[in-house]
Amino acid sequence: MTTGSSIRGLPIEISGLSKHFGDVVAVDDLSFTVEPGRITGFLGPNGSGKTTTLRMLLGLVNPSAGQATIGGKFYRDLPNPSGQVGAVLEATSFHPARRARTHLRMVARAGGHDESRADVVLDLVGLADDALRKVGGFSMGMRQRLELASALIGDPDILILDEPSNGLDPQGIAWLRDFMRYLAGEGRTILVSSHLLAEMAQTIDDAVIVSHGQLKAQGSLEAITSGLAGACMQARSPEADRLCSLLDQEGIRFRRLAQDTVAIDGVTPEHVGPLLATNQIVLYELSNQGADLESIFLELTSGLGFGDVSPSS
Amino acid sequence: MINTIRSELLKMRTMPGVWVTFGLAFPLTILYMTGLFAAQGYPGHTFSSVQGVAHLRQLLGAGYFGITFLAPILGVICITGEYRNKTMTSTFVLTPVRTRVLAAKVGVTSLWCVLLVCLSLVAVFAIGLAWNDALGGSSSQVVDQFGAVVPGLLAATVLLGLFGLGFGTLVQNQVAAILLTIGMTFILEMLLVVLARAIFQYNLNWLPSAASQALAGELARGLGNRHDPALQLLSWWKGGLVMLAWGLIPLALGYFTTFRRDVT
Repeated sequence: MTTGSSIRGLPIEISGLSKHFGDVVAVDDLSFTVEPGRITGFLGPNGSGKTTTLRMLLGLVNPSAGQATIGGKFYRDLPNPSGQVGAVLEATSFHPARRARTHLRMVARAGGHDESRADVVLDLVGLADDALRKVGGFSMGMRQRLELASALIGDPDILILDEPSNGLDPQGIAWLRDFMRYLAGEGRTILVSSHLLAEMAQTIDDAVIVSHGQLKAQGSLEAITSGLAGACMQARSPEADRLCSLLDQEGIRFRRLAQDTVAIDGVTPEHVGPLLATNQIVLYELSNQGADLESIFLELTSGLGFGDVSPSS
Repeated sequence: MINTIRSELLKMRTMPGVWVTFGLAFPLTILYMTGLFAAQGYPGHTFSSVQGVAHLRQLLGAGYFGITFLAPILGVICITGEYRNKTMTSTFVLTPVRTRVLAAKVGVTSLWCVLLVCLSLVAVFAIGLAWNDALGGSSSQVVDQFGAVVPGLLAATVLLGLFGLGFGTLVQNQVAAILLTIGMTFILEMLLVVLARAIFQYNLNWLPSAASQALAGELARGLGNRHDPALQLLSWWKGGLVMLAWGLIPLALGYFTTFRRDVT
């Protein structure tokens, strides 16, 4: 989570943003704000409009309606775009014959930054030893690191990362998580879309959840996971089978976590406590867990899991 | 704008296709000079030095032989290399004003085309003149034609480069754009010129190859029409304007259609 240093960056404001590709509605009247100095997870199933939204923010895709601004300005109107915003969009946008250092020198030149920054950011992402290697021989993880290095060349206050963990192995994902924490520790504003909710839950301050191009929830991670929709009680009982039958009868959703442990979704202690007492179910433990991000996500996105494609895509 | 141009220059410099183009320019210039010296030969002498203003200018402008297709390829590579390697996304993120990207590519293509001419002149000066001297010709006579040949050669090369850039912007697919520009200048144009004359008695002299020859050839007064001696070329300035249109029209069409499209 964001800690420490002074806040860097400007607010990102998405206001009434829509994008239609022919009859397909990719983004539908989407509005949210990303606060400066915080890590915001941009979450949604595949085809929910996350990438399109980020590309509209960066001026790569023209909105059908609404606007996406950074500090009240369109990205293209920022005086020094790469000095204010760093973007990681796809790890394939490299010329395979170009060396890593040359690629970064080119990026530095385009943004008007000192070319010596190439070595600084290569070192930062752990590619200093590969500076003179051609990108064509890089693994996916190395390409992701190089893409991150490109985004950091102008030492931007805002980072926009679109599925940065795509194609990474567990080691790479762990590195990315630590790296995001490091960047956040410097007070940067980070907007990151990802499929890895468990990883996101450990890293983000705020979450924006979208489905079918529409906003489903926005707020701090704590507020979202402790909300009623995502409330979760955990009960440990020697009568877990009876407990499950009772919950079934009452129409309450639950998940059997272990032989004697049941997670009960969408209820509060005030709701479930009296119910269990009335039915004389022995409890060893009843605790308020809050909901995990994945439960919230699945509920808000109508059960669309990762890898599913929404009808609107 | 300067930053974008500097970045584009480095980008071009690190594209292997650019160096292949340059690598071909040198031997093609030498090949043309060999043919020129051979054409002056007479019984007992395979090669002979060039004589007369027309041939002196042909020797100095020997690079034009390869440039007619290498310059458009340079232009095509400059833009389609981005689409081929999917680097356009990062280019547009770094320089979100797309007209600036296109303007930088126009500048960089022009510069590389000038370098292409310089390379061909190096071949002429390093090999052609020495060879001509060895065959009994006069280097100074060739050098005297510099002012008459090189400006037209430079202008024609730059406009051929922009012609390629325009088609590359419009078509985006590198192979298709190269085949289109080369096919158009070398095959389709010749066919159309012959057909236009045979069927309509029309002097079809405003297609890219003929227009660029008018620009280079009229100034050089020695290069003439390579494909079809019967074709009456435009005056050099009309050829220049037509060639400029051949560069700018596809460039503008490409900008308003493909270049401004969403990058998804």
